[in-house]
Amino acid sequence: MDIETVRKVARVARLRLTPSEEMQFAQDLEEVLQYFSLLDEAPQVETHDFNPVRVADILREDEPSRDVNAERLRDSMDTYNDMVRGPRLS
Amino acid sequence: MSCCPSPERLIQLNERFRIFSELADDLSGLQEYPPRPTFSAKDSLCAVGFQARAGSRILEGYRPPFDATPVWRMRQEGMLLIGKTNMDEFGFGTFSTNSGYDVPRNPFDEDRACGGSSGGAAAATSLLEGHVALGASTGGSISCPASFCGVLGLTPTYGRVSRYGLIDYGNSLDKVGLLARDAATLRTWLPIISGPDPKDPTSCVQPMLDLTPRRVERVAVPKEAMQNLSSGVEARFAESLLRLQEEHDVLIDEVSMPSLRYALSAYYVLATSEASTNLARYCGMRFGVRNSNISQHFNDFFSETRSANFGVEAKRRILLGTYARMVGFRDRYYMKALAVRQLVISEYKRVLQDHDLVLTPTMPFVAPRFSEIERMRPLEAYQADFLTVPPNLAGLPHLTLPCGYLEGLPVGMQAVASHWEERALLDIAERWTSRFHVRFPEVSL
Repeated sequence: MDIETVRKVARVARLRLTPSEEMQFAQDLEEVLQYFSLLDEAPQVETHDFNPVRVADILREDEPSRDVNAERLRDSMDTYNDMVRGPRLS
Repeated sequence: MSCCPSPERLIQLNERFRIFSELADDLSGLQEYPPRPTFSAKDSLCAVGFQARAGSRILEGYRPPFDATPVWRMRQEGMLLIGKTNMDEFGFGTFSTNSGYDVPRNPFDEDRACGGSSGGAAAATSLLEGHVALGASTGGSISCPASFCGVLGLTPTYGRVSRYGLIDYGNSLDKVGLLARDAATLRTWLPIISGPDPKDPTSCVQPMLDLTPRRVERVAVPKEAMQNLSSGVEARFAESLLRLQEEHDVLIDEVSMPSLRYALSAYYVLATSEASTNLARYCGMRFGVRNSNISQHFNDFFSETRSANFGVEAKRRILLGTYARMVGFRDRYYMKALAVRQLVISEYKRVLQDHDLVLTPTMPFVAPRFSEIERMRPLEAYQADFLTVPPNLAGLPHLTLPCGYLEGLPVGMQAVASHWEERALLDIAERWTSRFHVRFPEVSL
């Protein structure tokens, strides 16, 4: 993986990398991706699923309930007048 | 049922072997009479009264207000949670050396690793009589450390044990399981932690756990798994197969499972893709480390927190998973890896039609020295998982058993059963350990 690609992926993933990290990850990921190319040789399979066992019809009734105390959740975050405080959007 | 260490001994053992990321504030339960049986939970499992940091600096200070379902179920049985065990950051590792906190030391040789990522869980089990540890496995994180520390490690079928309260690594792969010193302990606690939980929908599709006896009569050994093993591990495994035949009347067939060679690549694509999305939530606002510099633009705010607090391996896997999901690569990597998973599942199903178990060594070598691990390139470390990854990718229940010793270090044997057939694993565990002497380290402090 070239350095430019590493930088682009890091931006998408919200990671800032130092120049030496960029070099190191470029080298590591190149080797790993080369190894992944083994997948190109695997026989084609018609079906695939997103889970290893069949997961279907698992949604429960949508009934309101309170599992966790809301005040405790609020207290674990940065709040102001009962509102969660976060960074600027623009 | 168990013989608990005194609080003082527990603290001394922890100082020496770096087992726990956090010990319980109140250990007086250890001195009650009769003593309360103890358990530990991997630090990726939430438990009231403890931080849940999953080995990551980014979760420093996160105190969940609820118990993970398996923790809650153990506590309901009167078990005393003595601590949260050290692990690789978010489970990203084979040796528990990728931790933002302490690196656990192997009870058989302190210069060697415990294995990962449930390394502290395996060390606790090896060192503490009567202990049972809750671990979690995505690609082998129960089998590997159990093997390196010479204990039993049971990873149930995907969906058997609720993952409510488990800090996610890869949702299509994560499983909660048990580490113990004997088979009877596994038989006792598996039913307690198993079963449907409406808070984890994937646990609601399971057939009821059936632990009626299923005698293992015929097992398969894939020839593809017998490559790239250290000669010592190969020899101990071969001796174990002989003992299975002679002492336990088990028939052993060599089989071919060609798809196993693709499992490692498929696993790392799926695991890193899923991990990179799961880790997006750690951004300095909701959990753990809080970034108070809110005058920044959100991009800078998130990037600052993540860059300063994720470790090297976490960053590497986030990059890899983000890349594999990017436009243009999704079909080549992610979709292809899903297809390979089906191929691997089909191949296990074919072999397990005529066999009760698939047997391999658990790890290709014994616990390595820390100095050897430092010299490994990332791909080399990933490749060490080539025997534990296939059953994890396929969501199949599997068990590691101590099967021999090499210059005093434990060697593990891994048994894989059909989906939901945990009882075949308990049968082999009980029969094997009835004739095989499992050793535990003698530690004088």
